[in-house]
Amino acid sequence: MIRYILRRLVLMVPVAFLVTIGVFVLVRISPGDPALTFAGEERDPAAIAAIREEMGLNQPVPVQYVVWLAHVAQGDLGRSFQTHQRVLEAVTERLPATLELGLAALFFSVTVALVVGILSAVKRNSIVDLLSTSITLAGVSFPSFFLGIVLILLFAYVIPGHIFPPGGYVPLAQDVGDNLRRLVLPAITLATASLAVNLRQVRSSLLDVFGLDYMRTARGKGLHERTVITRHALKNALIPVVTLIGIQVGAIIEGAFITEQIFFWPGIGRLAVQAIPSGDYPVVQGVVLVSAFSYMFTTLVVDVLYAWFDPRISYGTASA
Amino acid sequence: MIVGGAMVVAWLLIALLAPVVAPYDPIKVTVGDALRSPSLAHLLGTDDLGRDVLSRVIWGSRISLSVGLISVGIGFFVGVSVGLAAGYLGGKFDLFVMRGVDALLAFPALVLAIAITAALGPQIQNAMIAIGIVAIPAYARLTRGQTLAIRSRDFILAARTVGCTPLRIVTRHVFPNITNALIVQATLSTAFAILAEAALSFLGLGPQPPDPSWGQDVAYSTRYLANMKWWMSVGPGLAIFSAVFAFNFLGDALRDALDPRLRRSG
Amino acid sequence: MRSARYFVAFLGAFAVLLAACSGGQQPAGGGSASPSAGTKATYGGSITFGLENDVSNLDPMLSGLFVDRNIMYAMYDSLVRVTPKGDIIPWLADKWETSSDGKTVTFTLRTDVKYHDGTAFDADSVKWNIERYKTTQGSLRTADLASVDSVTVVDAKTVKFNLKSAFAPLLGALVDRAGMMVSKAVQTAVGADFTLKPFKAGTGPFILTEAVKGDHYTLEKNPNWWGKDKDGSKLPYLDKITVRPITDADVALTNLRTGNAQVLNRINGKDVAAVKADSTLSYLEVGSFSWNSLVPNEAPGFIFSDHRYVKAVAMALDRDEILQSGPAAGIGLVGWGPISPAHFAYDASFKPWPKADPDGAKKLIADVGKGPLKFELLVPSGDAGILQAAQLIKSELAKADITMDLKTQTLNEIVAIQQKHQHLGMTFVGWSGRLDPDGNTYDFVVTGSPNNDSSYSNKQVDDLMAQQRAESDPAKRKQLLLQAQQIYTVDDPSRVWYGFGVSPLITVKNLVGMESYPDRIPRFQAASLQK
Repeated sequence: MIRYILRRLVLMVPVAFLVTIGVFVLVRISPGDPALTFAGEERDPAAIAAIREEMGLNQPVPVQYVVWLAHVAQGDLGRSFQTHQRVLEAVTERLPATLELGLAALFFSVTVALVVGILSAVKRNSIVDLLSTSITLAGVSFPSFFLGIVLILLFAYVIPGHIFPPGGYVPLAQDVGDNLRRLVLPAITLATASLAVNLRQVRSSLLDVFGLDYMRTARGKGLHERTVITRHALKNALIPVVTLIGIQVGAIIEGAFITEQIFFWPGIGRLAVQAIPSGDYPVVQGVVLVSAFSYMFTTLVVDVLYAWFDPRISYGTASA
Repeated sequence: MIVGGAMVVAWLLIALLAPVVAPYDPIKVTVGDALRSPSLAHLLGTDDLGRDVLSRVIWGSRISLSVGLISVGIGFFVGVSVGLAAGYLGGKFDLFVMRGVDALLAFPALVLAIAITAALGPQIQNAMIAIGIVAIPAYARLTRGQTLAIRSRDFILAARTVGCTPLRIVTRHVFPNITNALIVQATLSTAFAILAEAALSFLGLGPQPPDPSWGQDVAYSTRYLANMKWWMSVGPGLAIFSAVFAFNFLGDALRDALDPRLRRSG
Repeated sequence: MRSARYFVAFLGAFAVLLAACSGGQQPAGGGSASPSAGTKATYGGSITFGLENDVSNLDPMLSGLFVDRNIMYAMYDSLVRVTPKGDIIPWLADKWETSSDGKTVTFTLRTDVKYHDGTAFDADSVKWNIERYKTTQGSLRTADLASVDSVTVVDAKTVKFNLKSAFAPLLGALVDRAGMMVSKAVQTAVGADFTLKPFKAGTGPFILTEAVKGDHYTLEKNPNWWGKDKDGSKLPYLDKITVRPITDADVALTNLRTGNAQVLNRINGKDVAAVKADSTLSYLEVGSFSWNSLVPNEAPGFIFSDHRYVKAVAMALDRDEILQSGPAAGIGLVGWGPISPAHFAYDASFKPWPKADPDGAKKLIADVGKGPLKFELLVPSGDAGILQAAQLIKSELAKADITMDLKTQTLNEIVAIQQKHQHLGMTFVGWSGRLDPDGNTYDFVVTGSPNNDSSYSNKQVDDLMAQQRAESDPAKRKQLLLQAQQIYTVDDPSRVWYGFGVSPLITVKNLVGMESYPDRIPRFQAASLQK
């Protein structure tokens, strides 16, 4: 097991390098002049030249990469061109909002998927099952930003009483009630796509397990149907579901870019999206890098857990 | 499968026949007709510049579908070539190429598409390229896996001993054996590509205005949400949904029909 | 962002004297705007100000964005300030005197001012501040203070600015960030963090006590502020201002309506009518200094080097539709040049094309004889309002058979393209505006100036613009400015101006004592919350 983990870690090193190069190159090929962004409306050529010098933009690109990488290794992601704030600080300030939204969405999608998924697997081809399979298909096809807009229209404007606000964020520490009220619509929006995937996974893995020998044995022993489902089927079916939760971290990170934008949720996704039109590269770079690394890390953890749970996985295979 | 296929065909027809079926010019500004709610004259209402929402939805299908198909084409071509080569050649080449694929997979797909499009500049061609790049790993892995599985089978070994060139073996023997899986993957990734294009356009990284684009029109409509001009969002929003749904539906059905082994995970 | 660099050259020494004289009669600290007759200001209360974007930098030396100034005007005082009408008034400087050769300006400072951290504000402090702005590497204030050679401390309350050559516009620069005074003790103690956490660093009516980036900034009442209202009562009235960045104008307005905010300084045009009709809100607006334009950007093969094409575009635009009758109505004033109604040199009768003239434009293009006009407009991405206007303009130009393709790019890219002259068509870029008309005109039309993106060059314009800079009689100066404007907008147009911004100020009804300023920055010192 430890060898497997080590092997995976070693394999991650070149990938991580490629990722940093990719992120760096993406930002470097972007048109526009960072020094001009930094200077705002100031157009004095001397001042701009001084800024360019100070930002190290006069050095050759490979040198800039090495300098940048050295800084990144020390946790220094540079400073925003626009706000001059440290990018790492900007990201860590916004992270709680994103985490709160992401966890809420994850919780929502997993609980609903479990409940509905079990129901539809147990009562196969019933109305519940039909409904859940159609919701699954619809859910993966429904664009999250459109869902968000529909929810805003309904709950913030159309339905009298304006149950939920159209957007905005209040820190948990400041007002718990208001925070939760504002969390509902974005969390549902973010959860829907992964809910559909989860639901499908719960249902199909339960159905698979139902067909297995030991289930027949359990049934044959005369065990109560409920006991069969909870004791035997669910336990085994949960393995892929647990790993799915991990994989969904990716879906939630990318969903956050869109959802935060619609609901004015001040997380890292919105930070990056807002930085794009103004050409604030260090911020975009920072957020993309942070999301890539957290995604890589969770994928690793999930693979390891999966290997742990399921002894059929050979530790020898390089990448799943 | 019939339902999904019919919807896909319907959208393709709408896109092809846009000039015929659209009741109005999608970019013609008529300030006097601004913000009309749906009526017989304008079935889906008009936007703030007096443009017919239905006509914009119809014309918008061209962009969505062409981005979907072209970017999937890019992903398919590059991904399959890389996967075949890696799977067949193996060794250092395989190791090297697959690390590159891993690097692409290290990013959440949409985040990578956003980053690439933002870097290349907000243009529809760049969105296609970005979505195409994001689609590569799925094809590469699928093809490599299947190639590896087939490579050691008897008939390939036989072909090799007869003196077939690697290229010939790959195209004649390996490729035909994975087409079913690839067709399923292509259909499903078209759905993803349409959705991704809509998301990029929503973030302002899609086609140039005033060209009609579903994602962009939904984004543009958000500033009128508080004024309850809901029809500006609903038309293009439902269009995205139904097009993505059509390809997903078709893809699922194809998977069940063509590749029974894959049904398990469905 | 260069702040109002060239203020009141027209008044010269005369105006300076006048302003100095009137200093004693005005309520100190801008209290002239205190509650209207009948309502008496009440002390206390907290309000929230919904700012359009997060601040970038609260160090006046390094700030390059408009949003920053919205907080700075409450926490810092500058040497002089302006009235809503644009007159310079005494602030930290009680009075000032310009030598007869114009090469020295001597400020007499208030003696009752202390920084929020308790250190004294005096001539030494002024000298330190100005030198910091002038000499620190990376300072964005060097251009503002370029005319200043050195600063001499005469005594504790007198400080002398020695200029390289006579430069009356200096005073205008000292209204804004180049004239803002920060505590040396705080700045040196805090170091690099001063950019976002300059707590207790100013002398202003409010003290910055909390800064949570991206969320909120807290300004608490400065009980020892020197300003007084017209009855001699101490200002400010309010206890606390929370500044909260709310980027979306719709969300901000919802916040105002639901009581989560009390002050906003921007609004979408589509909402103006509703806000004006809302009895719980008050809406004030005044024309701003800012203008909007389509800039022909010079590059090899440049279409608009034939200025008749520029003129054709200027003629074909339906300014009324863009700013008054169209979907964006309510957020701008129609205009044909860069001198706005908020400037002294504004000429209300200057309306070269009172109505859109697509036929005239067609004829002009036919006269050029090179076939139809077709070009690309670069539009900054990320702003639906700008996108809306651009699409409207496209449809208007089509009526004159002019094909304009839109291309959205990041603002940063567009600026780079402008600087390097890499674009054959036009760019859609405005100007935030300056107090003095010179700051709205000179750099855009004079040969070789930094913002002259079309590389426009017209000898007559150059001469007139140089003359107005040296002219001390305001009436004559106005004439020179207008003469030049006629040339660079109509006779030999350099770019297409189509309108000015307005500065809206939207507050809840019971928040009184505030006025809208052309620079759109709310002043809170005289604001009070009626019970």
